[in-house]
Amino acid sequence: MDADLFFTLLTITGIAGAVSAVALRKKERVCATVSFGAAALSTLFGTFVAILVLTGSPMSIQLPFDTPFGHFGFALDRLGAFFLLVISVVSFAVSIYSIGYSKEYDGKYSIGLLGLLFNLFLLSMTFVVSASNAIFFLIVWEAMSLTSYLLVVYENRKEGVASSGLLYVVMTHLGTTLIMVALIMMGLYAHSYDFSAYSGVGVLMSSALKSTLFVLLFIGFGSKAGIIPLHVWLPYAHPAAPSNISALMSGVMVKTAIFMLIRTLFDFLGVTDTWWGLLVLMVASITALLGVMYALMETDIKRVLAYSTVENVGIILIGLGAAMVFESYNLDLLAGLALIATLLHVMNHAFFKTTLFMGAGSILFATHTKDMEKLGGLARRMKWTAILFFIGALSIAAIPPFNGFVSEWLIFQSLLQSYQIPDMMVKVLLPVVIAILALTGAIAAVCFVRLFGIVFLAKPRSEHAEQAKEVPKTMLVGSGIAALLCIVTGVFSFAIIPYVDQVTAPLVGASAASSIVNGFVISPTNDQFSTMSPFALVILIAIMVPLVILISKWYGGKRKTVVGDTWDCGTPLSARNQYTGTAYSNPLVRVFSYVYRPKPEVKTELTSSPYVKKKVSYAFVVVPVFEKYLYQPIATSMVTAARWISKIQAGSIQAYLAYIFITLVFLLIIFR
Amino acid sequence: MDQIYVDIVLSILQASFLLAIAPMVTGIIRKIKAYMQQRRGASIFQPYRDIAKYFHKDSVISRDTSWIFSITPYVSMAAVLIAALLVPVFVTRTLGFVGDLIVVVYLLGTVRFFTALAALDAGSAFGGMGSSREMMVSSIVEPTMLLSIFAMGLITGTTSLSSIASVLSISGINLVRPALFLASAAFLISTIAENARVPVDNPTTHLELTMIHEGMILEYSGKKLGLMELSSMTRLVLYFTILSNVFFPWGIANDLSAISIGAGLVTILVKVLFLALVIAVIESSISKLRLFRLPNLLTVSFILAVMAVMSFYIL
Amino acid sequence: MSDILLTDVINGLAALILLFAFVLVAGVRMGQIIRAFTLGSLALGLLAAAVAYYTKADNIYVVALLTIVVKVIIIPRFLNYTVDRIKVKKEVEPLVSIPGSLLICGALTFIAYYIASPIIAEGNSITKNCLAISLAVVLIGFFVIIARRKAMTEIVGLLMMENGLFLAAISLTYGMPMIVEIGIFFDVLVATIIMGVFAFKINHTFETVDTTLMRRLRD
Repeated sequence: MDADLFFTLLTITGIAGAVSAVALRKKERVCATVSFGAAALSTLFGTFVAILVLTGSPMSIQLPFDTPFGHFGFALDRLGAFFLLVISVVSFAVSIYSIGYSKEYDGKYSIGLLGLLFNLFLLSMTFVVSASNAIFFLIVWEAMSLTSYLLVVYENRKEGVASSGLLYVVMTHLGTTLIMVALIMMGLYAHSYDFSAYSGVGVLMSSALKSTLFVLLFIGFGSKAGIIPLHVWLPYAHPAAPSNISALMSGVMVKTAIFMLIRTLFDFLGVTDTWWGLLVLMVASITALLGVMYALMETDIKRVLAYSTVENVGIILIGLGAAMVFESYNLDLLAGLALIATLLHVMNHAFFKTTLFMGAGSILFATHTKDMEKLGGLARRMKWTAILFFIGALSIAAIPPFNGFVSEWLIFQSLLQSYQIPDMMVKVLLPVVIAILALTGAIAAVCFVRLFGIVFLAKPRSEHAEQAKEVPKTMLVGSGIAALLCIVTGVFSFAIIPYVDQVTAPLVGASAASSIVNGFVISPTNDQFSTMSPFALVILIAIMVPLVILISKWYGGKRKTVVGDTWDCGTPLSARNQYTGTAYSNPLVRVFSYVYRPKPEVKTELTSSPYVKKKVSYAFVVVPVFEKYLYQPIATSMVTAARWISKIQAGSIQAYLAYIFITLVFLLIIFR
Repeated sequence: MDQIYVDIVLSILQASFLLAIAPMVTGIIRKIKAYMQQRRGASIFQPYRDIAKYFHKDSVISRDTSWIFSITPYVSMAAVLIAALLVPVFVTRTLGFVGDLIVVVYLLGTVRFFTALAALDAGSAFGGMGSSREMMVSSIVEPTMLLSIFAMGLITGTTSLSSIASVLSISGINLVRPALFLASAAFLISTIAENARVPVDNPTTHLELTMIHEGMILEYSGKKLGLMELSSMTRLVLYFTILSNVFFPWGIANDLSAISIGAGLVTILVKVLFLALVIAVIESSISKLRLFRLPNLLTVSFILAVMAVMSFYIL
Repeated sequence: MSDILLTDVINGLAALILLFAFVLVAGVRMGQIIRAFTLGSLALGLLAAAVAYYTKADNIYVVALLTIVVKVIIIPRFLNYTVDRIKVKKEVEPLVSIPGSLLICGALTFIAYYIASPIIAEGNSITKNCLAISLAVVLIGFFVIIARRKAMTEIVGLLMMENGLFLAAISLTYGMPMIVEIGIFFDVLVATIIMGVFAFKINHTFETVDTTLMRRLRD
């Protein structure tokens, strides 16, 4: 049973799922079960492939035809296998979830189309991490962008969806252009377009060229991942897509960009300049901080999660930047530590973000609204969804011992290890990065307390929320798998790190696992510096919480618990007396008003007399800084330039003939 | 292997010690404040009686709450106790391998996370207000604490609590630098902010507009209230212990002889009482700041922490 | 006193000078600002005394004494007197918010450290680290002049810049010729008195010492 076989099975099942979706499109429930079931099966095969490669040897399959760009085919080394594992496991959970979730679209949109695009999307992501040839990679990268675009605009009758999709497809193509330029340049130097030849191509290039390629790749892949200021498509596209697709896009698709970034920088170009890592660190810190700050003030659940993805991509890139800085000083062990932390966070974020998005999808399914100001009290009405969402929220807020905490702790520790570097720029910047990372983590906790608290706790704020019911079992199973993984990867991280180390060792040139993991204990390559053990924490919690419960029940005797009203000072409380999402984030928005530039708008509707007001509405508008000050001027100037150039199209035949005539005379003179 | 059994026993002893003296320390702070206000004040053992009273009463729960409200007191107390297991109190041996100073900070953050959620659970405006203000204060305090930890890590070469304490107490004066004082000043301001003391929050207020911490536990009664109060008192003493033993650990026992442990006990009691005096004096002399003046104070403490790191390199 | 202990004392005092510079930036009322300046000058005087102890040069003792007398006693008393006379509203009303200005001053400290690091690396005197701090204090003083509205605060900012320059002189060359020092002190004293008188006059004429309102004089 080797990897090649499973990979072929993966492809066949995926295509079968796509075809059956189209064939069965009239019978919606059957179609959903079959096509998403096939997707689940296909991703299961993908998991097998990944595990086989991670524990064994690399896989390679060549397609039987030749092209002018070299042989197309698939090749999975350990790095690709790691990402394939993340993609497959997450997609498995989402596929099961989608079986139930697609009930939302019964009768409204074509389930067959959803199934077809879903399977193709999954296949394209799998191919992106396993492509063995640069041109083939570009083809499947494009396929991934196209299928995801079609999925984003799936609910095409809803307002705002089409424009979100357009923004997405424009931004992703801008990125693809830059990537294309960089990959082709590297191919020219390597004299072949096969990725195996690209390895180490950086030594053949001049420093200036390498730096230019680095910038191109960073911007190109960064726009797909969502770094500031190229993130603007993310908060529109991810919420517009159906929730299972948002889960995949946030959890997995942005990771493919990180995958290629790691591969091109560490494997192909080779990191030698410190300023690369410092640039990545600075951009990543700003991305993380701004991402979470904008997440804090959104009231649409999915937009909160989308901005939170921007924040976590920032954190991942902070880890990557630290790894690059260490690598440029040849501190291989520390570079390995930072890279392991980065990859762990990639995996952990995929798990908890998909849990959260699937939870958001369940909320949407049950209440038909995404606006947190209209929700509330769902914890008592949708018990299981609440618990699973809570696990995701705990993980993303870095609560020990969940997985988000482990990777964040490792990233902090690898930043702390920077004191070993003698460069002064590093010494000055690293405390700033640490402070920004700490602030980001703290605000992320606020953001998710707000999200969970306003949506699930206290009283329902609308009819929809009051009548919410628990969602179908397949959706719970899907979210449950992802949530379970959050817990497992946190507690058993000491067992996972050696495998991740096998991924990073060839990239940084040193195996860090033996110095990081010691039994149940994790440490940042130096036992004396600090240690942490999530497994022991779990044991302590398992002992301490029941102990506290027992002692408190025993001491003071048995006491009654009476259910009464919330303290209301004598006035009956309604759902309107509760805190709203906007109010909850208000103190922080005021403290950071320099960043948000909030504008409160008060509109009054009057009746015929100016003294009797019919309605007063208060809106708290936050100016979207990047759109207003960066993109809008660029867009306006491009439109103006286009309009100016379009004057050439005068419309008359004489004008066009005149252009041809003048050019002809000109050329005759020059080439006399 | 014996090492770890000794460590476990010592940690349990130290954590129980902290739990035992926590209400007394709060009582002492109140007594000192009373004297400064020309009153006699209640006995320093009154908090013990208060908590006993809470545990012997029935409780009323709002019908709008969910399971979060019910489990929060247990999780808070458990998290504080686990953090207490990791902090060296009178001897530099604890269950330190489980977590370092960053883990302790995040464990205390867990308490805040759950308390803030429980505050929202009752569906009243008091809880929401306390919750959102608490989150605002704590998110600005967090970078300060982590930078102080970074400064201590630079000075002593480790962020594991027991190692910091033993390194500093053994090497004596050599490691004292301005960075130490600056970091401890920043951490002192963070202690005041995290434990809801004046000038950040008034722990004895009855007005909801001035509440941060009190607003969050407003809905609790009976045993749950007892647990929440006890966990906040223990948290205060825990912060005092961290402040004493991480920044100024001289006097702590490094070996297990009876004399050292005795000296360690006396030293920690003296230090905790000194800090209680400092807090009580600060509380009696400065008025509570307006909510949106707090970022000024907290940014000052952040700059102190930044300067602590910088002065490690400059000076 | 051994050299190491002396270096520690000097470093500690330099840290205090920087600390009081930050407290000055964070000050909201005139009283707090003048007090921060006083304490910073006191630390500066003590630092000069420590340098004098090391070099065993009498003239630096005189300079240290002069610093304490002029900058800790005379000038703050005069500033307080002026503040009382012109009955300026105690609040300082900054142009840049206090947390923001604190963060900017932190960044200025980083920059000062960055600029001074090549020189620090070369030097081997006991006060070499003070150069970065002196540069930071000068930059912070300059920032205070830019970012605050009341003329009184700007005077204090100027005095703080002078403190920073003095610290630089002490740490690099163990003081300047005596005549120059005394001359500078008297200049500073006279400048402060003149500025105080001006502030009083301005307030008397325009009922305010708020410089943003005084911009209208241009038209």
